[in-house]
Amino acid sequence: MPGFDFSNYNRNAALHARGVPLPKATSTGTTIVGCIFDGGVVIAADTRATSGPIVADKNCEKLHYISPQIWCAGAGTAADTEFTTALISSQLELHSLSTGRKPRVVTCMTLLKQHLFRYQGHIGAYLVVAGCDPTGTHLFTVHAHGSTDKLPYVTMGSGSLAAMSVFETQWKADLSRDEAVKLCSDAILSGIWNDLGSGSNVDVAVITKEKTTLLRNYIKPNEKSAKLQSYRFEKGTTAVLNEKVINKSDLKRYVTVHDLPVEGEKMDVDT
Amino acid sequence: MSMRIVPASQAPTTFSHAASSSAPSAPGIHDTLRHGVGISPFDAASNKPVSAHPLEARLKNWEATQEAVRMESLKRTFGIAEPIRRGMELKIVREGEWRPMALGGGLPSVHEDILRGREDTITWEDVFTGEESRALPGIHDEMEKKLKIN
Repeated sequence: MPGFDFSNYNRNAALHARGVPLPKATSTGTTIVGCIFDGGVVIAADTRATSGPIVADKNCEKLHYISPQIWCAGAGTAADTEFTTALISSQLELHSLSTGRKPRVVTCMTLLKQHLFRYQGHIGAYLVVAGCDPTGTHLFTVHAHGSTDKLPYVTMGSGSLAAMSVFETQWKADLSRDEAVKLCSDAILSGIWNDLGSGSNVDVAVITKEKTTLLRNYIKPNEKSAKLQSYRFEKGTTAVLNEKVINKSDLKRYVTVHDLPVEGEKMDVDT
Repeated sequence: MSMRIVPASQAPTTFSHAASSSAPSAPGIHDTLRHGVGISPFDAASNKPVSAHPLEARLKNWEATQEAVRMESLKRTFGIAEPIRRGMELKIVREGEWRPMALGGGLPSVHEDILRGREDTITWEDVFTGEESRALPGIHDEMEKKLKIN
């Protein structure tokens, strides 16, 4: 079977029937929001990645690139959001090369929902899709089962209730760019403080017709404070018991040593 | 013919792994020496689900269902000749492009992709073919099976 591998399913079902407990479902936590303003759209996310009760990464990136003018914020299983957005990004690029037009946000949303619907929620990707294209500014949410919403302001993830309360009290029509950035980061901050699954910093992406600005770590409310004391050992704390110096000229009596010129990296390296 | 766009939920409830991978002398028992551990490549090619997981049957039948509804709507619009012509073209292309499994057969060819309108998409299935962990059958085994010699 290409793609997903189901070969252990029957074995696991048989083991479960004999009393082996099923693995526990992992609960995920995130706050992501999006908001349309006059002439563009803002999406924002917190930066905490959890694995169960443990904070796995304090400064991960939840804003994913789809195309220059379309970005995605992802909640749910981190690997699934990462991989799904990368796959749709590639399909959208191939599609826009094939048609010779700029990619549309609705196309991206349709590709995402068709892909996720096919897998019946087994791909745990909950996304906020935002972007500008020749047809205007768009903001969508896509749930893991394939349902979508189109709203002027959206929130998702475990902190969505805290973030939505900020939008519901402070949102107004015809926001300016700075007001929208402020509103989105306030919503994320409310998720950071009130939701245990969200934390650390605020990432913001502002998408307008002309360009996309990614404000990575726009607000850092949880800076690590300096330690009161230094626990470094002074140089020479450990006594040297004995010392032996071998010179390169002595070494040349036994092996051949060549000094290689320092060169830059020649291969293509992925980042 | 129905216009169903999503496969019906038809998760199989019974399984026999040994249907096509059993030894001739002991039908019904998986022949590990001939076919290796796990699902045999012949079974994998025959698009049968290997588990009772509801998602697997759905994914396996996804493309076929989409194709069926496309052909059905073509038939309703242009008459039966259109789906028949397309089916014949696909059959010609598929038979001309047959490759033994030992040389990595199984993936659709460029011609087939173009006829299906999939030449501008790359999905997980195009990259993660699942063939890395599978035992490769010999060319003789495969031809014997294909030509029904044993």
